[in-house]
Amino acid sequence: MLTLWLGAYDQGLAYAGLALGTYLTLRVLNFPDLTVDGSFALGGGTAAVLISKGVPVPMALLVAFGFGCLAGLATGLIHTRLGVNDLFAGILTTTGLYSITLRLMGRSNIPLTDTPHGIDRLPDLSAGFDDEWCLALSLVVLGLGLILGLLLSTDFGLALRALGNNPTMARANGINQRRGLNIGIAAANGLVGLSGALVALFQGFADVTMGIGSLILGLGMVIIGESILRPRSVPMALVAAVLGAVVFRGLIAVALALGLEPVDLKLVTAVLLLVALAAGRLRIPGLSAQSRSES
Amino acid sequence: MTLEIANLSWGHPLPGGGWRQLFDDFNLSCQSGQFVVVIGNNGSGKSTLLNLIAGTLRLGGGSITLGERPLHRYRDHRRARWLGRVMQNPLEGTCPGLSIAENLRLAERRRRSGLSAQGLLGLRPSQADRRRYRDLLEQLGIPLAARLDTLVGELSGGQRQTLSLVMATLGAPELLLLDEHTAALDPKAEATVMGLTEQLVRQLGATTFMVTHSLEQALQYGDRLVMLRDGQLIGDWSAEARAGLTPASLRGLYGSAIVGPTEQNSAHAPAAP
Repeated sequence: MLTLWLGAYDQGLAYAGLALGTYLTLRVLNFPDLTVDGSFALGGGTAAVLISKGVPVPMALLVAFGFGCLAGLATGLIHTRLGVNDLFAGILTTTGLYSITLRLMGRSNIPLTDTPHGIDRLPDLSAGFDDEWCLALSLVVLGLGLILGLLLSTDFGLALRALGNNPTMARANGINQRRGLNIGIAAANGLVGLSGALVALFQGFADVTMGIGSLILGLGMVIIGESILRPRSVPMALVAAVLGAVVFRGLIAVALALGLEPVDLKLVTAVLLLVALAAGRLRIPGLSAQSRSES
Repeated sequence: MTLEIANLSWGHPLPGGGWRQLFDDFNLSCQSGQFVVVIGNNGSGKSTLLNLIAGTLRLGGGSITLGERPLHRYRDHRRARWLGRVMQNPLEGTCPGLSIAENLRLAERRRRSGLSAQGLLGLRPSQADRRRYRDLLEQLGIPLAARLDTLVGELSGGQRQTLSLVMATLGAPELLLLDEHTAALDPKAEATVMGLTEQLVRQLGATTFMVTHSLEQALQYGDRLVMLRDGQLIGDWSAEARAGLTPASLRGLYGSAIVGPTEQNSAHAPAAP
């Protein structure tokens, strides 16, 4: 049972970027960003291609982050410049990204088990827990959380939070809504792309369909974390998102240990989220009827 | 700063088709530091006028000049550098999910928004910022000084509107726009907010536009009273000329013909730059 939870810890940390990215778009910017589904697979695919070609893992992760940012920026520009509704802008990008990711990968699935020598050791899937991998991941997530927490506590972060909270007020106080949304959505998708790459590394393959349901998955993690910690400050909310990711993976691991097939995972995810939503009766900014005024 | 509205035109499509031209060749000029109270019945264009100045509505034609600056050429968030606004709805003018100190910080940075590389330097609001806000609130006699970390969403409507008013006057705005900012408040909160309004406007010395539905307020506050109907200026009184008016006589004017705005207007010609 311990191995199971430690495995969930690793996996949860790999998914933490997704939780943080979802927190950034949905909670901070109040923007329901479906690009997340596309940028998760894009990050995974990019990293898999690069690593199988012999590029060092950290470099591959960085490129995955960068590509995620670009995907987010595309959605941001479609929404702010062309005035396309937020949900549609995300769906548009995700649809296009499917082909781009497939082109990039060359095939729909790239295994990472037979990578060339000289590449950092990849985690053993069956062991579930690996000291080095666990430590490295912990450091990466801690660093990400710290950077994000600090950024959100500057005037810059304050402006982003104001935009999500009350765009009318933010604009009346000199904040450029277009610029804020573009930067925020790009950063969030960068985090998601990075998370996709880490997950691909962890599960030992990248698949072009691995991003399906990512936004919902990320939302589930954020909500679970929030209902456990009930955060009242931004740093605590970030901690809650990461914790939510770990607990969520733990619940999935339990479901698998109880004999569920991997095929059923998406259904389990959806049901878990539904339970979390119903139990907490938590608000979902952006997905509720609330509308955003746009200049 | 002097505010010069010249040849302003603006209209909007009607729900059933057709077009309503609300403002057509509308002119108004205000001296620097003038406190102008705007009244008029529903649909007369009071709030629309403020929205056109603030840039939340786009001009059909004409110009709005603040000092030397062609205000109408800037988008709304750029105009916010020089404009302080208090909205009618206490929920609109503040960020409910941010603390009092954070809201004040946002307003204080109005001239240089935090969305720049420079905005990444330093954690905000800093201890020095908080001290400054505490002093400011204490000095104004606002009992929120000890609650800087309270989320604004937890405040009452009156408290939020008080905060919104203080925020509008931070960052040295040159023009203050108050859009029926006491309409949603109970009489007690209204008196508090109006007292503070008078005090802050005098302190700041900014040109001020206050839209109101309350004829009592219209007769009590400001240096100048203007009345709108259907996008036209139908009344314009200096503080002295206003002395002869009563709420009843003003109400009577709402439905009547134009009352000598032309000679009153000349008394308010912009001062030499």
